[in-house]
Amino acid sequence: MKASRSVVAFLIATSFSPVAMAADVVKIALTGPFSGGSAPMGVSMRDGAKLAFSEINQRGGIIVGGKKMKVELIERDDEGKNDRGALVAQEISSMGDVSAVIGTVNTGVAVMGDKYYVEKGIVKIISPAAGSLSLTQWSKAGVKDLPIFRFAAHDGIQAQMVVEKALMLGLSKVAVLHDATNYGVSGRDDLIAQINRQGGKLKVVAVEKFAIGDKDMTGQLIKAKAAGAQAILIWGIGPEMAAVASGKEKLGFRVPMIGGWTLSMSNFIDTAGASGNGTLMPQTFIEDESIARAKPFIQAYHKAYGVAKIPSPVSAAQGYDAALLLAEAIHEAGSTSPAKIKLSLENLTVTVKGAIADWKKPWSKWNPSNVETHEAFRRANTVMGKVQNGRVVLANPAEKFVLQGTGTK
Amino acid sequence: MDAKYLALVQMAVGGGVMGMAYALVAYGFQLTYAAGKAVNFGQGELVMLGAFAGITLTGIGLPYWAVVPGAMVVGALLGWFIERVAVRLALKQRNEGWILLTIIVGLFALSSVENIWGREDRPFPVPWPAEALDFFGISFTWSELAIVVGALGMMTLVELAKRYTMAGIAVQAVSADPDAAELCGIRSRSAISLSWAVSGAAAAFAGTVIGPVTTVGPTMAAALTLKAFSVAVVAGLDSGFGLVIAGVALGAAENLSGYALGSGWREAPGLILLILALALRPQGVFGKKIIRKV
Repeated sequence: MKASRSVVAFLIATSFSPVAMAADVVKIALTGPFSGGSAPMGVSMRDGAKLAFSEINQRGGIIVGGKKMKVELIERDDEGKNDRGALVAQEISSMGDVSAVIGTVNTGVAVMGDKYYVEKGIVKIISPAAGSLSLTQWSKAGVKDLPIFRFAAHDGIQAQMVVEKALMLGLSKVAVLHDATNYGVSGRDDLIAQINRQGGKLKVVAVEKFAIGDKDMTGQLIKAKAAGAQAILIWGIGPEMAAVASGKEKLGFRVPMIGGWTLSMSNFIDTAGASGNGTLMPQTFIEDESIARAKPFIQAYHKAYGVAKIPSPVSAAQGYDAALLLAEAIHEAGSTSPAKIKLSLENLTVTVKGAIADWKKPWSKWNPSNVETHEAFRRANTVMGKVQNGRVVLANPAEKFVLQGTGTK
Repeated sequence: MDAKYLALVQMAVGGGVMGMAYALVAYGFQLTYAAGKAVNFGQGELVMLGAFAGITLTGIGLPYWAVVPGAMVVGALLGWFIERVAVRLALKQRNEGWILLTIIVGLFALSSVENIWGREDRPFPVPWPAEALDFFGISFTWSELAIVVGALGMMTLVELAKRYTMAGIAVQAVSADPDAAELCGIRSRSAISLSWAVSGAAAAFAGTVIGPVTTVGPTMAAALTLKAFSVAVVAGLDSGFGLVIAGVALGAAENLSGYALGSGWREAPGLILLILALALRPQGVFGKKIIRKV
């Protein structure tokens, strides 16, 4: 009985053989938190990437080796949880016919899950997870050949900008607040490292952590206030940072809050309300139709998903541009094989015009002692954003040229 | 006052306010325990459902003063429903199935909420300003004030109703001796149903006053049930206003230890208090000792 069943299973498997199917489609997986506290980023990233792929499919697909192949998407919700993310990565890497993955919002998920992609050599473009650890883990391990790329302004750049901004505001004493996740802890380390690198002119008078789900931040803020902090430098995700903003309001502790790009999440902006106004964070993209380069993407996103406001504009635009770059790499590779796609991502020849920038060879051959080889963004692609009445605007309108520009590095 | 002490007082006040919220949820345990000797382990989920009902009613344009009673009606119906489907049969069969059944109903509520409203935490819109009030250097918000006033007001109203209305006296009679009450012509089944409905309404009311402070999401339920149950057990399940003292003590202890020892230690003193209370006064700090006559 058992034997006959497995024979039947074998026959079924071979009769619908992927050989015929696989020749016609490129399978790409999109993973991220489509529910939970990080969902605004995950959903926007997914929808941005889907927008790009649906435009490509409308044109008939990606030309691979002279033949047009449609993109078929596989979506998996990792719920922003490390263990769930590891399961998703195991599942996708064992499918056997997935060419590449775009996704991951939570650094912890990348830390737990990406090893499965590396083992199988499956190409992954991390976006928008920014935690430094998701690439430095591979340089620490001394991996020689890495199929993991990042398309997001990593925390190193962001921490640099946050510290620059604090110095520009003429501050001397700051408090560092962070959540207890991999993202928050590595953000804290990046901030402190940056403060030292920029001459130690800022004095960290308090370092306080909080847990995911905490609603009352009075304790941490009282300590920061008592220590004389002139600003809160913060690394966390939307809901908890909103609790910090309203706690500040409650205590009458009116100092600037500067932190990672997650301060642009809708669940920060909407929950914090008026208490979030003036908050500063690095951005690679601003939802502002007066930026000529961004306008077509913003309009297409609004139309496709019936919204007037993108939940996380940065994630959406990065998802979109990452998808365009991946499609170009598959075209240049002339193959759906992950190994070949990896090579062509490292050696892109055509400049890809995206919603964020013109991407001219964003990545190069992986060098374990220099993670920048697999990082697409540089300081020059990134601007400071500011929360203003429920939206993120340019903190310094003069920086608009950065987002208009060619963005080559 | 010295800034250091002021900070401690600030933490204690903030914690005390959350403690009032625990007490209000714990009060729901007390109501159903008095009448039918059973409690709803899905009480936190009722709080959450009350909060979501409130947000939904606000969404269709109702003002806050209409949203609160609206949510309470939803809560009362749910409380009645839980007693009807999950508790009554198990109690009739004299088994402890109601423990599992109320947990299951709670989990079911949790999944429904995740599917209907999603998993995101969202703000609860309120009519009062977001600015903080200052009281001799201690700041608190209007929303926190609403928890204090709401919890005390709700409990006072129900306690008065228990003493001075026909239905309230009937519930008390059933609570004292169901068989004797039946002999006096009181339908104990209706009295128990009533107490579950009131308990449900109190939970939903709690949702509408806690929501503005904590934001509303499916995960708000689990922690609330546990904390409120601890408060109910520490105070005693028949302690009346003793709950408020136990609740405020637990909330303040949590906040103070989080402040003094670090945020990871928030939960520890509450648990130690719970263990101590159970060891020293198993009937509850404010509970009455039951003397069984043989």
